[in-house]
Amino acid sequence: MLYIFCPHCGLRSQNEFAYGGDGSVKRPTLNKEVSDKEWDNFVYNRKSPRGKHVELWHHISGCRQWIKVQRDTVTHEIFKTVSADKEI
Amino acid sequence: MQKYSVFSLFKNALKGHKDWEVAWKDPNPKEEYDVIIIGGGGHGLATAYYLAKEHNITNIAIVEKGWIGGGNVGRNTTILRSNYMHDENGLFYEKGMELWRNMSQELNFNVMFSPRGIINLAHSDAQMNAYARRGNSMKLNGIDAELLGREEIKKLVPILDFSENVRFPIFGGLMQPSGGTARHDAVAWGYARQADSMGVDIIQHCEVTGFDVVNGKIKGIQTSRGNIKAKKVGLCVAGSTSVLAEMLNMTLPLETHLLQACVSEPIKPILDHVVTFGAGHFYCSQSDKGEMVMGGDLDGYNSYAQRGNLPTLQHVLTEGIAMLPFLSKLKMLRTWGGIMDMSMDGSPIIDKTHIEGLYLNCGWCYGGFKATPVSGWTFAHTIAQDRVHDLNAGFNLNRFNTGHLIDEKGLGTKTWIS
Amino acid sequence: MSQTYRLNNSGQINRDKKISFKFNGKKYFGYEGDTLASALLANGIHLVGRSFKYHRPRGFFGAGVDEPYAIVQMVRNKETEPNVRATEQELFEGLEAKSVNCWPSVNFDIGAINNFFNKFLPAGFYYKTFMWPKSFWYRIYEPFIRKAAGFGVASTKYDSERYEHKYEYCDLLIAGSGPAGLSGAYAAAKNGASVILAEEKPRFGGSLLTSEVNIGNQSGKDWAEKIIAELKEMPNVTVKNRSQVFGYYDHNMLVMSEKVSDHLPKTKKFSPKQRLWYIRAKEVLISSGSIERPIVFGNNDTPGVVLASAAKEYLKVYGVLVGKKPLIFTNNDSAYETAIEFKKNGIDPIILDSRNAPNSEIIEEAKNLGIHIKFSYVVVVANGYKKVKSAQIAQISPDKKNLGKIEKINCDCICVSGFWTPTIHLSSQSGNKTKFDEKIDAFVPGKSKQNETTVGSANGIFNLEETISTSFEKGYQLSKKITNNDNKVSVPQVSEKKFTNHDKFWCVPLPNKKNFKRFLDFQNDVTVSDIELALREGYRSIEHVKRYTTLGMATDQGKTSNLNGLQLVSDVENKVVPSVGHTTFRPPYTPVSIGAIVGREIGKHSKPTRKSPMHSWHEKNNAVFVDAGMWLRPRYYKKANEGLFEASKREAANVRKNVGVCDVTTLGKIDIKGPDAAEFLNRVYTNAWLKLPVGKARYGVMLREDGIVMDDGTTTRISENHYHMTTTTAQAANVLSHLEYYLQLVWPELNVNVVSTTEQWAGAAIAGPKSRRLLQKLFPNKDLSNEGLPFMGYSDGDLFGVPTRIFRISFSGELAYELNVQSDFGNFMWEKIIELGNEFGIQPYGTEALSTLRIEMGHVAGSELDGRTIPYDNGLDGLISRKKDFIGKRSLNREAFIAKSRQKVVGVVPLDKKTSIPEGSHLVKDASAKLPNPKLGHISASCWSVEYNNPFSLAIVKDGKNMIGKKLYALSPLKNKSIPVEIVSSHYVDPKGERVRS
Repeated sequence: MLYIFCPHCGLRSQNEFAYGGDGSVKRPTLNKEVSDKEWDNFVYNRKSPRGKHVELWHHISGCRQWIKVQRDTVTHEIFKTVSADKEI
Repeated sequence: MQKYSVFSLFKNALKGHKDWEVAWKDPNPKEEYDVIIIGGGGHGLATAYYLAKEHNITNIAIVEKGWIGGGNVGRNTTILRSNYMHDENGLFYEKGMELWRNMSQELNFNVMFSPRGIINLAHSDAQMNAYARRGNSMKLNGIDAELLGREEIKKLVPILDFSENVRFPIFGGLMQPSGGTARHDAVAWGYARQADSMGVDIIQHCEVTGFDVVNGKIKGIQTSRGNIKAKKVGLCVAGSTSVLAEMLNMTLPLETHLLQACVSEPIKPILDHVVTFGAGHFYCSQSDKGEMVMGGDLDGYNSYAQRGNLPTLQHVLTEGIAMLPFLSKLKMLRTWGGIMDMSMDGSPIIDKTHIEGLYLNCGWCYGGFKATPVSGWTFAHTIAQDRVHDLNAGFNLNRFNTGHLIDEKGLGTKTWIS
Repeated sequence: MSQTYRLNNSGQINRDKKISFKFNGKKYFGYEGDTLASALLANGIHLVGRSFKYHRPRGFFGAGVDEPYAIVQMVRNKETEPNVRATEQELFEGLEAKSVNCWPSVNFDIGAINNFFNKFLPAGFYYKTFMWPKSFWYRIYEPFIRKAAGFGVASTKYDSERYEHKYEYCDLLIAGSGPAGLSGAYAAAKNGASVILAEEKPRFGGSLLTSEVNIGNQSGKDWAEKIIAELKEMPNVTVKNRSQVFGYYDHNMLVMSEKVSDHLPKTKKFSPKQRLWYIRAKEVLISSGSIERPIVFGNNDTPGVVLASAAKEYLKVYGVLVGKKPLIFTNNDSAYETAIEFKKNGIDPIILDSRNAPNSEIIEEAKNLGIHIKFSYVVVVANGYKKVKSAQIAQISPDKKNLGKIEKINCDCICVSGFWTPTIHLSSQSGNKTKFDEKIDAFVPGKSKQNETTVGSANGIFNLEETISTSFEKGYQLSKKITNNDNKVSVPQVSEKKFTNHDKFWCVPLPNKKNFKRFLDFQNDVTVSDIELALREGYRSIEHVKRYTTLGMATDQGKTSNLNGLQLVSDVENKVVPSVGHTTFRPPYTPVSIGAIVGREIGKHSKPTRKSPMHSWHEKNNAVFVDAGMWLRPRYYKKANEGLFEASKREAANVRKNVGVCDVTTLGKIDIKGPDAAEFLNRVYTNAWLKLPVGKARYGVMLREDGIVMDDGTTTRISENHYHMTTTTAQAANVLSHLEYYLQLVWPELNVNVVSTTEQWAGAAIAGPKSRRLLQKLFPNKDLSNEGLPFMGYSDGDLFGVPTRIFRISFSGELAYELNVQSDFGNFMWEKIIELGNEFGIQPYGTEALSTLRIEMGHVAGSELDGRTIPYDNGLDGLISRKKDFIGKRSLNREAFIAKSRQKVVGVVPLDKKTSIPEGSHLVKDASAKLPNPKLGHISASCWSVEYNNPFSLAIVKDGKNMIGKKLYALSPLKNKSIPVEIVSSHYVDPKGERVRS
């Protein structure tokens, strides 16, 4: 079971969190024309890297904050976690 | 090729089994092939076999990073079924069932096809209705299905928990009597042996490191054992598709996730069907060896690790005991993990790509094993004819753009919860 | 029967406590402190079971977790348990055990006929036959094989035992209490670290229990006892025996199973049978020791062939002789200890040593004791069927390829030692690579990936002095790293006999023209020739070998067989062992009870149950409940002999005619506050929200980014910057996460806060033409006229002193209101409604009537919003704002979503106005078309229209908007039904929506 550092609460076991997928995906701005490709890249297409992955976790059984986590998808090692308003 | 039969077994036994030939050779790669299939798993091996058998293309190499059959074809819970609601899935997998039924004889390799029946349990009327929708769709597609009430289920599988002491009582279920299991490794080996005998080169321990694409056309691949030229290249590397796609600058509607399974210690026969729990995600069958073969949810985060964590199995087994209380006194013997291409609508992709001569077979989620023959069969057609077959036309890559999605579960793009 | 193989004085058992037990129906005696295995051996029982494939007689091979044979069916406290390892099961009064995998008995087993046909049953024979005729595999062969396979029999009764979970955090977890573990634990504990020391066996001390060594001027065993006693007294130390650390998971999470009560006749009150420990350790010291591996020779599976270390353990721990004429067969010095132990107890062993005149302290000692040693000798084959009677032995050439003249030697057991294999499972599970150590012919842990250190023989160190000094040092260093303390304890003096090198020899060649079975995997009957056949047939990867032959896949997971298998593959393939590699080590190290993994979440508690504050009222009033996610909701209230159909019809009709009340507490409720709340809602919902006045509610639909409807519900503007959102019961949690996602990650600039208030509010929907009159009774001072509280209006209220939120919203299509009060007052509210509603003929209604009411009104719900439909499909396209952007809007203009023939929700009425259409039926043009019959759509929801007294259904149909008036068939082949139907508008009742505004 992963041990995830929540920037708001400290180290907590994974079962307090819900996974939120690729954290590098950026939603296109509202009311802006976006091409099909841009939109599909936002909704569907994922790099799904083998190695370092920036991803979202939601501390649902804790502070209910979404956080960003950089984790290795092979070793599961976590390198860094930051709050939702910061970039990795 | 030597024929396997009770007679050849008898004859060889008298000679101390010294005369058995290799099931497949271990050749070095040639300079060029008509078709290279990347990935020596079930789908890759089946694709090569059907290319040779149905399309007379035999100058083929299967290039495998490790050993053949080492991916998900050797890491699944061996369930075969075509109990799908959507036509694209139902008709495709039913063609698969037809191929399964004849596979042992066709491959002259006993894959132990065992149509013991698969039962999806329902725990509410709403679920019974959802199953009715699926079962009726199956029947209208010519697939066998039966909607069973609680008492009928009880007769078939009395060992399920029919007591009062349950959180979600069994209301009934949907059964596909022709669904069942097969011996997973044998499928890979059977295809490998036949493909090899028709001239396909099975090249193990050969890792793809890059692609040669010139003017939008595939020319060959780069591997740990040198460059190999090819007119056509097919990708059958579910679980690692995104890694190879990156070499091609493609970003696909896929995420790689980890799915664990486990078996108990072997016991005497107690469960004759494949049964799935409806108030969660748990499935179970008993292998011919006597082990209870069990699986359920993904570990739930992107992973290429093939190693999972216990809480997921705990969760899966909790549902297991809720369904089959006798599991409590058994012991969990072995666990393993496989990595899945989770596609964004839960259905696979078998298609051409924007690169001429490059074909894609991926996105199997955790349903790839049962698809092995039909995936190979349709992918071989797609590669040989350079166009999709009716059966895999719906599994195009473009559907994520057009909106013609095939979402059996209605869960959308959250691949990790599906 | 007396314990004729029990020594009079040796052993660590309690001879004052005699224990009786039954094996295969016969009564025997043993002592407290015995295992089932040691007690049976004391009684001279060697035959315990039959092997998997050939049903050959099987006895005991080891003395612990590595045991491949001795698997029994056990009865404890009247509950039967399959596949119990006799070498691990401690004896208790009244224990009953039976042999498995044999019929009619272990002595005479019909299945042993396989042994005579073994020539025809080589590895993988089943892949080559049983293929004709086609149906025979499933109908004939497979059932036969299934019956023959498997070991024990599962209990069909409930497991009455209790299993618990425990979560622990510690500085240092130490797996194994042998010399390495004790040393590490002691050094770390003395330096102030919090330590958990786990030992799989009942006794602490590991190899110190059986070895002749001195530590700190006392025997190894005494030293171990002293250290353990001291550790037990320390507040920062937890010492656990019968506790197996079986899994090393991510981020230093380890899992241990503690057998709390398995050694007792009955689990004590308030105590579990087993306890599963999830331990998050800052550092882990792996001191799991090593397992002796056998040398392979002919018929080496005969009962009476045992590991030399096991024979020594039976002698020293249990005072039991595995035989009275022992033959010791070894390639190394450690087996000499076994021989010396026999000799000390008055038994004359003979040692066959494959080495050519080695020299060491212990060999000298054996010689001095007068033990007969034959150097360069090997066992060729064991004679005897159910028990070793003699052995054929021979001299072996220095290159180990040729045998000399075969001699026969009488013996009743063969104690074999092929050197030691470090137990690297935990280290390997941690993610570490392994490296092959040529010195010991085995794999040892490679570089650490997580915070773990392997010490002692698990790390390939077989020298006690080095083990103890390095383990003390590691214990000190790791504890210093964690605690910053610096108290170093001194390392005790160690004296032990020095051993010389072992012989790199693991398999005895076959004599000319003989074809003895030489077993590698004893439980699965995998022999040398099976592996050779696999390689001959091209199954050359070690994983292929394993899968083709089933080597190492038995319940012992190959603890004694895997390395010899690797040696064989490397010999045949002419490779070195490390390049052959090994199969992956995965948890669990030993099989773990599934009951223990699951813990307390069983039966009714397998998932939580959520109940509304009015639940007990519903119960008292004959509600029949239905699961709605985790919630229990009244489905209908049973009166007299009514069934679901009659009751729901009555309840729904009463709503249309009078007034009904429904518990809607389960709806998701989210409080939304902040100056940007309106803007936020405007982005979340498809329709416009900026102009919603205070005191008004609005219906909204929200999408996923892929354009699919995610949820619907009403949201009310309570005050300027305060909104109350409702969601469906099913989506409540998802919607909250969804909102938080956008607020925290996508639009952090919006000043809005959201919080779930589902549990804080109890809700009651009051619906029906008389609802206003009832409401007036509940709120006598309130203006409830159309002007005072119009449709979609909201107001505060005072319900006899209880602050109430009054919403004029309707799901039933009738004039209706929804009341919310604080949960604590839910029951008060409900009872008031019933009390004052009596004069209007009020009846409570359940989810079934609720469905009927919404279906005939054409309101979509979960069965239409099934995660696959867009607003258009549900007739909700009118709610899509063209003027603004919102979540998922960009996806709606996709080809499939704007297709002219897009599916849409419609109403369906059977032509005969009598036949109910089963939900899940499909609509087709031609009921008898050949398959596959093209489907136009499906019936999503059906009801009996109480308005028109005939069946009515909703369906989602292709080209729905042009289908009204068409005649189709609703087919349910599952139920053999084909019903001619007409497609009508989905708004079957009150299409203009006049009632809700009345």
